Amino acid sequence: MASTGIAGSRIAGIAASVPATVVGLEESRRLVGDLEARRVSQSTGIIERRVALPGTTAADLCQDAAERLVTSLAWRKDTIDALIFVTETPDYIVPATACCLQARLGLGKACAAFDVNLGCSGYVYGLWLAMALAAPGRLQRILVLTGDKLSSCISPEDRSVAMLFGDAGTATAIEADASGQAVSFELGTDGTGYGHLIIPAGAARFRGDSETCVVHEKENGNYRSDEQLFMDGAEIFAFALREVPQLIKTTLSAHGWGPDVPDAYVLHQANEFLLRHIAKKCGIPADKLPLSLHEYGNTSCASIPLTICQRLGEAIRERSLKLVLAGFGAGLSWAAAALTCGPAVILEPVVYGPASEAAEYKHDQSS
Amino acid sequence: MTHREFLKLIEDLLELEPGTLEGNEDLKGCGWSSLAVVGFMALADEQFGEIVSPAKLARCNTPNDLAALLGDRIGVSQTA
Repeated sequence: MASTGIAGSRIAGIAASVPATVVGLEESRRLVGDLEARRVSQSTGIIERRVALPGTTAADLCQDAAERLVTSLAWRKDTIDALIFVTETPDYIVPATACCLQARLGLGKACAAFDVNLGCSGYVYGLWLAMALAAPGRLQRILVLTGDKLSSCISPEDRSVAMLFGDAGTATAIEADASGQAVSFELGTDGTGYGHLIIPAGAARFRGDSETCVVHEKENGNYRSDEQLFMDGAEIFAFALREVPQLIKTTLSAHGWGPDVPDAYVLHQANEFLLRHIAKKCGIPADKLPLSLHEYGNTSCASIPLTICQRLGEAIRERSLKLVLAGFGAGLSWAAAALTCGPAVILEPVVYGPASEAAEYKHDQSS
Repeated sequence: MTHREFLKLIEDLLELEPGTLEGNEDLKGCGWSSLAVVGFMALADEQFGEIVSPAKLARCNTPNDLAALLGDRIGVSQTA
């Protein structure tokens, strides 16, 4: 694994925005029936999710989070040196959505801006990049925006993904700090598994056309188009069992922490059954495993900062916590960090968009 | 682990009455599902430290096929 220890910066704040529309088990019941829907929910831990309506993108959710965070930190916008947007659902293939966000957020022209195409490992990768760039004498202030709107890429008739994913956008502020404690990062990749979690069509390898958007029957009676997300759940589960416990152990060791030292292990919110299993293997007690997936589902690269805002905000606003963060998913890609975080500006998750969205969604579903 | 003990684990996984399975049943007729697949993978990891290949798992049709994936860690079937 790529191992690095980086000092000289700190997390100044985190914010998260979620769409107004809540999707509960009734969607799952429509797809698989009541009994199976309850079984899936019991296993995944996902009771409800939030989905953005057409017209709202991951960039919109991230912009909302960033605006609130920058205001709360009282950062002048022309003091932000870089914007990193981590997403699998950019506004455009060209240009980088980070460039659009630089303008929409009103940041200065001296701001570097670029996208990173990663999913569930993406938050830790974004932190790693930002903390490698930020230090006294180098970049001073960086925004890491992580968000996805996977609901727009999912077939409602594909049981392997239809009941899992929610939309969210987050912003994390990284600031150079000479007294900032070292953060240990461990990052890895196994590209042989790229096909296990993929949207095959729509980019350069497999251009979108009139056929790729047509829904066909696929494996196990699932239906989707080639422009929608495919996930081989068993392969992803095996990957997580194989890599994540070792990732956590290596990260703890690199940071000189025993397993009892962290106050919390914030893992990508894939599904509760998997997270509980990993926690058991790593000796992590339940009260050190915060979860946000009950309310928000699997929110891809937003899930770690969203969980921090939802579950740890009160503590980190007051004091510092020792955290292990670990993300894993499409690529196959994985990354973890051990860090001491806080006190910092951690904002409560906020609902983005008009309240009328939810009513509009229900109307669309019933018509 | 004996074959009977292994079958008991599969019965628990599939929420079947104890003693239901003998080993040669068709898994699909016993409630085998995607949830059972990941449940079995977790079970194999926890009980035997084995990360089962999903491709091999997909070729299993009976509880005895599942036992064969775990090799000699499961006792010989008394019913085969």
